[in-house]
Amino acid sequence: MNKKIQRSLAVASAATLVFGVSAVSSAMAAPKTVYLAFQAPLTGPNALTGQDELTGAKFALSEYNATNPAIKVELVLADDQGDATVAASVAPGIASNKTIIGLIGPAYSGATQASLPAYKAAGLPLISMSATRVSLTDPKAPVNGFPIFKRVVANDKFQGPALVRYATKGIATPKVYLVDDVSAYGAGLAEYAKKTITSAMTAGKDSVPVNTSDYTSVVAKVKASGANVVIYCGYAPDAAKFVKALRDGGYTGVFASGDGTLKADYPVNAGKAAAEGSRLTAADVPFENLVTAAQMTAFTKLTGVKVPGTYVTSTYNATNIYLACIKQGKTTRAGIQNCITTGSFKGVAGDTIKFDRYGDIIGGAAVGAFVIKDGKISYVGVA
Amino acid sequence: MNFSVLSSQFWSLCLQGVALGFIYVLISLGYTMVYGVLRLINFANSEVVMMGTFATVVAEVAILKNVSTSDPLHGFRLVYTLVFALVFSSLICGLLGVLVELVAYRRLRALGTNRLASLISAIAVSIVLSEAARIYTHSAPVTAPRLLEKWSFGEIGGANFRVDTVMIILAGSIIFFALDRFVNRSRLGKAIRAVSMSEENSKLMGINLNRVISLTFFIGGLTTGAAAFFYTTVYETTQFNVGFNLGLAAFTAAVLGGIGNLRGAFYGGIFLGVLEQFASAILGSQWKSVTVFLVLVLVLLIKPSGIFGEAVQQTRT
Repeated sequence: MNKKIQRSLAVASAATLVFGVSAVSSAMAAPKTVYLAFQAPLTGPNALTGQDELTGAKFALSEYNATNPAIKVELVLADDQGDATVAASVAPGIASNKTIIGLIGPAYSGATQASLPAYKAAGLPLISMSATRVSLTDPKAPVNGFPIFKRVVANDKFQGPALVRYATKGIATPKVYLVDDVSAYGAGLAEYAKKTITSAMTAGKDSVPVNTSDYTSVVAKVKASGANVVIYCGYAPDAAKFVKALRDGGYTGVFASGDGTLKADYPVNAGKAAAEGSRLTAADVPFENLVTAAQMTAFTKLTGVKVPGTYVTSTYNATNIYLACIKQGKTTRAGIQNCITTGSFKGVAGDTIKFDRYGDIIGGAAVGAFVIKDGKISYVGVA
Repeated sequence: MNFSVLSSQFWSLCLQGVALGFIYVLISLGYTMVYGVLRLINFANSEVVMMGTFATVVAEVAILKNVSTSDPLHGFRLVYTLVFALVFSSLICGLLGVLVELVAYRRLRALGTNRLASLISAIAVSIVLSEAARIYTHSAPVTAPRLLEKWSFGEIGGANFRVDTVMIILAGSIIFFALDRFVNRSRLGKAIRAVSMSEENSKLMGINLNRVISLTFFIGGLTTGAAAFFYTTVYETTQFNVGFNLGLAAFTAAVLGGIGNLRGAFYGGIFLGVLEQFASAILGSQWKSVTVFLVLVLVLLIKPSGIFGEAVQQTRT
């Protein structure tokens, strides 16, 4: 191989490693094209979250680009694996890429916290489709996203109570055992769930770090507490191990969890029997319930996905907010930031999306209730 | 602190702790055997465990064609599958142990390099194995099929004698005592102990040093592979980073018991398993690691040779 080519390839590889990003299109220098970054776990144990969400962004973009707009928009993918450490190394690369005018994501709260310093310094607007930790939009919190961070989902201040409400629904005398995974997301959600659990309902609480294998001591505590409802605030891989240990340990009560667990691979990893009946919530309404049949056909044709996954709706909405601003001719980070902060947008459900000063949707957003039925996620309604 | 759980779950926690402890025992034997002979910590052993868990899944899924959604097995098929997966995982880990010794230790030993170099090369092998597994699995967890229906023999004092718990304790005991007898009674075991006492003198006695060291790594790998099999059978899942926590716990167990001797690893592993269960139950699961390492530091401060270090000195490998 020619030495110059070898050197160029080496430089390109090194740049990819350093910045941790890969462009969907190679036409970086094409005129009248702007770029939106998409940051979520695209590989790793939580990859399904990002891959599901990516379909929403791709579909919104395909609808937009099909109208032959004056300004074309393309995606730049940033894989943070849903991990704060990885996110902290990915964010500076995205922030320094001046062709990127906005970011869809980050998907996870911990990854968002870790990414914020780089993005704040670069003034890059963020619209998250699934980072629900309350402190991200709390002006008093030491790490908040003001002024660049916005989100199109209800935060855990809404999801926490909704999760408790749904978990205890239909149970005459609920005794709730609350477990979190000590992550930024899990501990945050548990904090707001706990506020809704009255002392009469409280059976106990524990915090089990992410990646724990052995849950037998927690199972022993759940059994000793006499709990008939277990609420787990954490992500799907650990929820699968925990529910399996609970069922193997003889626990027959309700198992409930939040949006971190609402993944198609949760019932697969937990096993159909253990996961069956799990009550899950997410600040999400299934995409297929909101779009037209023609749109669903186009979505399936584009993505190959027949049943859209979790947070496709919010990702579609987040992407469309950027696209609405770009349609108005905003093609700089500052222009986009101003447009998002002051504008009013239309969601796929026909709802109006307008952000408050600190980045939450004014009026909040719906929290959906789901159940695992026959080994699959099934939408129940609003929690 | 929650002491109320002790009254109703004391024996349950003990039983689960002992079962978990046996997994630690079998892994810590991999550390302690190598340390006994080379006076070096085999840091790659944690990734040997991880590879063993994947070997178990390969044996169960790719070779014996079980699928993660299938029903548990029964009768001859169950016994055959379990034994095959155990042997396969152990052999893979044993051979991997030999390979680790060849790559990370032998050449450096022949060159007479600083002992630190071997430790670093073992860490390098560990990183290579872990990263290879991460890339191959895309960092995603891998689910093992449920082979064993989790039925119970019954409860005594609140402790549920589930089939997998009993299996680990029985099989782990058999493997440990077989190894103990092998090291103490057999000709090869005598050779291992001789090398452990003095490399120079054992060479003068006609012992093939490289062969004995390879054998030690092989045996350490076998027990580590058995631990990986039990881990996968009980928890039915694995991931590229599973070796880190298991390896650290087993290494801690070996140090607690007195690294370098087999019985120390045994007592250390069981002690650690039970300690983890009690710490989680009383203080909360997030305090488990804090408690374990606090106890480790205290033990080393008071008795640097480990809790059982001197009492079982004569069993040093």
